[in-house]
Amino acid sequence: MIHAHQLTKRFGGSAAVDAIDFTVEPGRVTGFLGPNGAGKSTTMRMILGLDAPTAGSVTVNGRAYGTAGAPLREIGALLEAGAVHPGRSARGHLRWMAASNQIPASRVDEVLDLVGLTAVADRRVGKFSLGMGQRLGIAAALLGDPGVVVLDEPVNGLDPEGIRWVRVLARRLADEGRTVFVSSHLMSEMALMADHLIVIGRGRILADTSMADFMRDHAASHVLVRTPQPVEVARLLADHGVEVTPQASDDRSLHVHAGDPAAVGELVGAAGFTLHELTLVRSSLEDAFMTLTADAVEYHATEQKGVAA
Amino acid sequence: MTALAEKTRQTQQPQSATSTRAPGLGAALRAEWLKLTTVRSTWWTLIALVVVGGGLTILLGAMNAEWLASPGADEAPAAFITWGMMLAPAAAVVLGALVVTSEYGSGMIRSSFAAVPSRGRVMLAKSILVATLLFVAGTATAFLGYFGTNPFFEAEGIGLPLEGDVLRAMYGSGLYLAGLGVLAVAVGFLVRHTAAAVSILLGTLFVVGPMVLLVPGAVGDWIVKLMPNNTGGGVAAAVSFNPNLLDPWTGYAVFLAEVVIVVAVAAWTLRRRDA
Repeated sequence: MIHAHQLTKRFGGSAAVDAIDFTVEPGRVTGFLGPNGAGKSTTMRMILGLDAPTAGSVTVNGRAYGTAGAPLREIGALLEAGAVHPGRSARGHLRWMAASNQIPASRVDEVLDLVGLTAVADRRVGKFSLGMGQRLGIAAALLGDPGVVVLDEPVNGLDPEGIRWVRVLARRLADEGRTVFVSSHLMSEMALMADHLIVIGRGRILADTSMADFMRDHAASHVLVRTPQPVEVARLLADHGVEVTPQASDDRSLHVHAGDPAAVGELVGAAGFTLHELTLVRSSLEDAFMTLTADAVEYHATEQKGVAA
Repeated sequence: MTALAEKTRQTQQPQSATSTRAPGLGAALRAEWLKLTTVRSTWWTLIALVVVGGGLTILLGAMNAEWLASPGADEAPAAFITWGMMLAPAAAVVLGALVVTSEYGSGMIRSSFAAVPSRGRVMLAKSILVATLLFVAGTATAFLGYFGTNPFFEAEGIGLPLEGDVLRAMYGSGLYLAGLGVLAVAVGFLVRHTAAAVSILLGTLFVVGPMVLLVPGAVGDWIVKLMPNNTGGGVAAAVSFNPNLLDPWTGYAVFLAEVVIVVAVAAWTLRRRDA
């Protein structure tokens, strides 16, 4: 269990993490989602005691990191960029980590096997691909068989097979009763992996909810209507209290804010108008995420904000 | 793949129930030793140390033996018996700095502090290992230089017995390099960058050190005496090329005080800064 209380980190004048409260529960995968620069990595570094909070606190199993026992047996972390010396072999890296926490050396071979790096265990890490580096980082995180696993952007650089492997692994770790905290800037990845979602933007928590609730609340749908009589149809729907947005890209299309295409079709048909298309468009979670964080994106292109949800 | 499943944990059970007691300095030392011996730079710098420290001594001793034995010689043979140890510090400080700055360069320092949250312990473990390794390598290299050079001196009738200041210069070389290694570790933690750390250390020893000889007057004399290459280098030389320096052991005590000051500043900042 990870618990943050009024956790704050300021760099100079600006707050990278701004008085956030959250709890990461065991037995489920908690996604930590936010755009780049939202404060994800800073928060994870504070969990691991690498950055000191400006104010507030964060605890792992009720204690500040590293204040009791062997830290790697309690919490394992995949840090950004692997955090490995390029001149050392994968096995060499894991061996010193094991020694530092009095983990048996036999465990090194176990985790190498677990992440599929046994064949390249003695190659220098500098020659590894991004994906192999990520696997080594995950091996390091699991070295101490910890009850809490923190993975910062674990799918970065992985091929589709590797991404699925991380997803299955995270799920299994959670099913074993561990606390699993996974950061990502990709909503689509989180939707497949996480049971619970904490969304952060500009250092503030924007949402802390179950994945199912988040999908229901944020992924609003609409009905796309194409008709040769767009003006008339729009007036008809508006008269019936349905909100309609004309599509700028196509003057025959209407964006109808309703969840039931059948009702829209019956209404339009009863009035005798012609329909060329009637489609339920489910807004993607990516859109929902973009909408949620539109005002909280640190660096964004100016031409668009999120697509309407 | 079953290793994880075997150790399924109870969700509410605190981890301390299953953890062993906290690993101490011994575990940190073992981890740092594995780090030190699993990168090539350690071996390259040690080879450089032996080649420069021992090889150059033998080469210059062999070339100058005849001159040193001649009436016109204005240097003592003993001044040449550890000649290479004037350059060996370069290898020592590179080794000491890399032990720290290579971790900052690759981001590995975060793995190190996650594994060993006590930063002072990480610094202490690195310092102990670097000092030990350099003491052994430095002393061995000095002996190599002695045993390689002395036959040439003996052939000219100016052989040096292994006793007194000559013997002291042997393990004194190890002591000087050990101190420099600790200094380099501390500078590495202070500046956290390989090029910066190595430049500062080499610049201090090999550029600023000789340049302060140009400072005039009593102030200049004291600056020369207090430069670390002179305070620490005294014990590494059987006979000094410069007579206006502190006594070898007095100088070494001052050198250790200088090292301790830098170590203290580095430890203080290390505790405060984010990794």
